[in-house]
Amino acid sequence: MKNFRFFLILLFLPSMLVGCVETNILDKLGLVTLVGYDVGTEEKMATTSAIREVNPEFQSNVEVITTENETSKGNRMKTNRKLSKKVVVGQMRVILFGEELAKDDIQHYIDAHLENESVSNSVYLAVVEGEMTELLEYEYKNIDDIGQHIYRLLEQNIKQENMISATLHETGHDLYTAGEDIFMPIIKKEEEVVELSGIALFKNSKMVSKIPPEDTFYVKLIAERFKTGTFETILQKEDIPDNLMKNTPNEIPIAFDTIHSKRELKLVNPNTPEFDLKVKIKSRITEIYPDVNLGDPKTVAILQKAISKNLSREISRVIAYSQSVDSDIFAFGEKFRSSVRGSNLTKEKWHELYKDMKVNVEVDFVILRSGVFE
Amino acid sequence: MINPIKISPKEMINAYLLFFVIHSMQIGVGIHGFQRIVYQDARHDAWISVLLAGLATHIVAFCMIKTLEVYGSNDLYGIQQDVYGKWIGNFLNAIYILYCFVAFFAVLRNYIEVIQAWIFPGISTWFLSITLLLIVIYAFTGGLRVMVGVSFFSVVFALWILPIIIFPIKYGTVESLFPMLEANISSLLKGAHSMTFTIIGFEILNVIYPYIKDKKNASKYTHLALLATTFVYVSLMLVSISYYSEGNLLKTIWATLTLFSFISFPFIERFEFVAVVFWMLIILPNLCLYLWAAYRGTTRLVKVSGTKFVWIFSLFIFIGTLLVQTRIQINTINNQLGKMAFYIVFVYPIFLYMMTILKKKLTSQKEQKDEEL
Repeated sequence: MKNFRFFLILLFLPSMLVGCVETNILDKLGLVTLVGYDVGTEEKMATTSAIREVNPEFQSNVEVITTENETSKGNRMKTNRKLSKKVVVGQMRVILFGEELAKDDIQHYIDAHLENESVSNSVYLAVVEGEMTELLEYEYKNIDDIGQHIYRLLEQNIKQENMISATLHETGHDLYTAGEDIFMPIIKKEEEVVELSGIALFKNSKMVSKIPPEDTFYVKLIAERFKTGTFETILQKEDIPDNLMKNTPNEIPIAFDTIHSKRELKLVNPNTPEFDLKVKIKSRITEIYPDVNLGDPKTVAILQKAISKNLSREISRVIAYSQSVDSDIFAFGEKFRSSVRGSNLTKEKWHELYKDMKVNVEVDFVILRSGVFE
Repeated sequence: MINPIKISPKEMINAYLLFFVIHSMQIGVGIHGFQRIVYQDARHDAWISVLLAGLATHIVAFCMIKTLEVYGSNDLYGIQQDVYGKWIGNFLNAIYILYCFVAFFAVLRNYIEVIQAWIFPGISTWFLSITLLLIVIYAFTGGLRVMVGVSFFSVVFALWILPIIIFPIKYGTVESLFPMLEANISSLLKGAHSMTFTIIGFEILNVIYPYIKDKKNASKYTHLALLATTFVYVSLMLVSISYYSEGNLLKTIWATLTLFSFISFPFIERFEFVAVVFWMLIILPNLCLYLWAAYRGTTRLVKVSGTKFVWIFSLFIFIGTLLVQTRIQINTINNQLGKMAFYIVFVYPIFLYMMTILKKKLTSQKEQKDEEL
């Protein structure tokens, strides 16, 4: 019993030392919610960060501070010198890259964040079109907290599958996969709003091109990252068979909700290499102009064929474009590596093969139903 | 057959508890970052290496139990004294005690390193090591049954961690696992060899065996425990390979913890912080039982009381933690321990088994001759 009491006291003694560990009190912290990197004018790296300062008495305010230094940690120290509160990055949600920097090389930045244990792997990455400081430091009429706003903008669109997702983990994963290139959403300031203006395509860790946001649907469909969502396409004259309706118009805009989609990718010839891409989409037509009689099974069959044809052409176009800029964002290379034994694929090797890659696209589009009014 | 251990039934444990003891001993600090080390050799076939390592533990455990069964109620220390004689036997016992010491030290230091790297970069090593050592001393003075109780709770309370790895599967790609069996046999075996540091711990069987009440069930529960461990490691490896990409995994030091860092709940933002802190419960049986194994050996060499031994042992460990400061030093110790453990845990028991059979045959022949004369 005496022994027991001795140990009990001894065990409780260290608990007195709890206060000795560095504490983080919310009132005394500046929480970085967003950080933007760009090429500096004088020094190597320009950093703009949105810092939220929680204040128990007043409304919490957001400060946007730009500094220049050689490293990101050096920038953090410089930011610290301008603030009355300690800067911490544990609540960081978004990392932005200036277009100029993205075109140069972002490998170092991704590595640095993967290495930092206080940065969560689920932060969103994006590229900024235009001036970084202008986007972040501008006083918007309807936006209080620019950091939070951009985070919500990205999160909402990614969850709704309107935009491709590039979290730190996903980007780190793709960057270190031999047969895959990375991509990120592009953000742009349009007068008083911030909008998603496209997708940045990278070759290795350099941005090489961009595609419009309307193509997100195709990119996600090819890369098998699409599940459900709304999409719009325009049937061109060549897609529309004459027997669909009288007085066929030149274009038929059409909007549909995808209920279910499935992608199958098969390597048919490893020498070229040649892939068979089969996409199955089950959907609900939500809007079509001019009105087509969707009650008639014959018309529906014709329409399904026309949409399939249109989609497969669009998919081929997006693939051909990314081939022309040498950026494999669809992970065809990963499929190649996993199907060919002993390929020892490297990024360089795959980029050589990727240029001459052939993809046979086949789309199977099924209209399940239209709305409640025919 | 000399030195059989006589233990009163009050001190004995049921055989089914062996499952918890062995399973909790095998899972410790190695699990945090074994993926990278195995992946270096076997690439995306690393899970096959893990499977092979698991198979090896079954074979070795089989030999261990067979050796122990020959002696009925004795531990490794007694068997070595009997097989090799007093001098060589005691020399080998001393090596085994040293091995337990180093293993204890490696577990403690690695865990402290993880705390320092993930949560408190500023906290000093001595503080953490004293705190942990005190808990271990406390458990040790409670006796074997308390330590077995710790292992039991460590396994039961940690059961919820395994289903957590379902979260990262969402971000995994099955393609990362293909083409299967691309690595050749030698790199697969090399990968399995790298598993040594992670998968050891079941050698506690050598020391705890005489304390088991129903010895005929020991083999069943040992193999069940090994199977459970192999299952945990293989599933973690599979998830890691599909979640990380090639270059990514090679650069991630504690892949399991980084795996957790993606998980966030509304009430807790960063799940790995919970995991790191919770891990203390998982390494506690490792520490306690290595300490206990070293004590059992020491009593065979010198007369020493439990309390005295535990304070001296802890003092040496404490001094050790002060000396080893950098990541490079820790990695060197891990590598050396892995090398040492490969021979002590995997190769030696098979050799010892052959020696005991030889010895048994010779003695029985001698007895027969004596009878004839």
